Amino acid sequence: MNNRNLVRGLFLMAISLVFGLTALKYPIGEFSRAGPGLFPAIVGAMLFLVGLSIVIRSRFVPGVPIDLHVRNIVIIIGSLCGFALVTLFVNMLAAIVFMVFVATLAGTSYSWKRNVKIAIGLCIMAFVFADLLGMNLPLY
Amino acid sequence: MEVLHNLAFGFSHALTIHNLMYCAIGCVVGTLVGLLPGLGPLATISILLPLTYSIPTGGALIMLAGIYYGAQYGDSVSAITMKIPHASSIVACIDGYALTLKGRTGLALFTAGISSFIGGTVAIIVLAWFAPMLGEVAFLFGPADYCALMLVGFVCVSFVTTGSLLNGFSMCLIGVLLGQIGTDVNSGQQRFTMDLPFLADGIGIVSIALGCFGIAEITKNLDERSERSPFNGTIKLMPSWAEFKRIIPSALRGSAVGSFMGILPGGGTVIAQFAAYALERKVSKYKHEIGHGAIEGVAGFAAADEAAARTSFIPLMSIGIPENAVMALMMAAFIIKGIQPGPNMIASHPDLFWGLVASMWIGNVFLVVLNVPLVRYWLSVFKVPYNVLFPCILFFCCIGTYSVNNNVDDIFITAAFGLMGYLMMRLDLDAAPLMLGFILGPMLEENFRRALLLSRGSFLVFVDRPIAGSLLGLVALFIAWQVLGFFLTARKARNGKAPLAAPAAEAEAGVEAGA
Repeated sequence: MNNRNLVRGLFLMAISLVFGLTALKYPIGEFSRAGPGLFPAIVGAMLFLVGLSIVIRSRFVPGVPIDLHVRNIVIIIGSLCGFALVTLFVNMLAAIVFMVFVATLAGTSYSWKRNVKIAIGLCIMAFVFADLLGMNLPLY
Repeated sequence: MEVLHNLAFGFSHALTIHNLMYCAIGCVVGTLVGLLPGLGPLATISILLPLTYSIPTGGALIMLAGIYYGAQYGDSVSAITMKIPHASSIVACIDGYALTLKGRTGLALFTAGISSFIGGTVAIIVLAWFAPMLGEVAFLFGPADYCALMLVGFVCVSFVTTGSLLNGFSMCLIGVLLGQIGTDVNSGQQRFTMDLPFLADGIGIVSIALGCFGIAEITKNLDERSERSPFNGTIKLMPSWAEFKRIIPSALRGSAVGSFMGILPGGGTVIAQFAAYALERKVSKYKHEIGHGAIEGVAGFAAADEAAARTSFIPLMSIGIPENAVMALMMAAFIIKGIQPGPNMIASHPDLFWGLVASMWIGNVFLVVLNVPLVRYWLSVFKVPYNVLFPCILFFCCIGTYSVNNNVDDIFITAAFGLMGYLMMRLDLDAAPLMLGFILGPMLEENFRRALLLSRGSFLVFVDRPIAGSLLGLVALFIAWQVLGFFLTARKARNGKAPLAAPAAEAEAGVEAGA
């Protein structure tokens, strides 16, 4: 399974099935008067064919292992979602502090002092955006 | 004469204090992000897109264009001094970095700056002559022809940016499918919204761009876990007269190649650089030196780079079809500002079009006057460690995506696309064609449905019409050639030749196809 070419083909086929099968539930219409489902169904079918040919092709070319670092992407996505949640329930300044302290876990080194400085700098930046550029940020 | 008159009209718009300021901001920000790892022109334009809501239309477009060509220049600077290409300057690493190793960094940077200026100037002349002409041709296009043209664009972009037709084309198709999310304009049916109200208007292009390019790129840099060492050499900028004379002919050749490559569908800066470099290796007087630090190797590519960055605006502004991912974002910027790029744009908004063209030349002057002498200060941004930089970039991504609709839901969408972009990157799928597919998807569907409606459901309309027929013929020929090539290399590999040569041959074929 750890073959990048094979997984790529399966990934594409999965996406094509998600979109293509959903599209079939919408009215298809006919070619001269296409319904909302026709075009996505055609594109989904094309994507399925492309994915299939990538899977077939992966049988003929040497495999490449996938190089996946789960930790970093989980930390980054987590800090983003955390930023959104804290903004929703508390305010954006708290969200900025939260994001800086979580996201830097993914860096090569971790330092409390540096994080405090970054967080202060970004909060000032947020005030500049809100007050000088007139952006509508729920800062506090 | 008319062109001169129009250009003078454009300069009168571009030379106002405000527009000069926006142009300067665009160039400076562009150079900065071109230098820094982790933010390409795509991510930067999408972060700044919401900020331009409050700026007048002309100024906003001038600034965004400045970011694009400024980033091209900044990218070549980091490639020349430290051999770090991140967006597109792979070619600069060959001769430019060889010059740095010889201790001639200043010469390489000066050559790149001056050649960019020459390339940009030539491209603007091409733009001013050619865009209105092509606009007239665009009136001949019917719905079927537009469909065929977009397919040609997909095939070219797939092949040029990824070197593999299958991978790139699949990304275009995913982009088209993502563009389907939201309410169908013809029937009012909600498609793929999973009953979530914030998806009813579709996904914002800023969320996708920041997820696939901003977040995914940050994570990629974090995975590499390498701290970069800043450049510490000395820089002596002014070349001798003999060296200066060597720049001019290569820069002119590069400008011509770049201007041409920029207009082609799927064209853009990368393919133009390779083509110009290949041309220099064939025709230059000093071709034996190229590859070991020749001025010509830098001048040709830098001129082609800047020229293509400007002429790639031609298809967008005259036909209304963006030809690569950056132009797709520019098109989004036009539409947000209430302007539909296309054959009518030059006639209905002459101040915007000619103002933008003139500002590109002014931006060129800014790049030469500001950035070339100040390049050593620019390089000090590398002293900022990445551990400080990436939380800041994340913050800008969050603010950028939030401020489109002042809606927190968009940050979740960005996070989802960050995950998807990261997966795609690890599966060796390039997200750039996805952006093009996303922008062109709704247009493709509309034209496809209209073409079939006009022909009463007969697909013959795609073959009958001369424009559509010949364009689709080209696509078919190209696909046939690719399939044949794959089977030939597969057979060769089975006959005992080195099997690892296949990907290399594929990449080489891409370069040759472009040349």
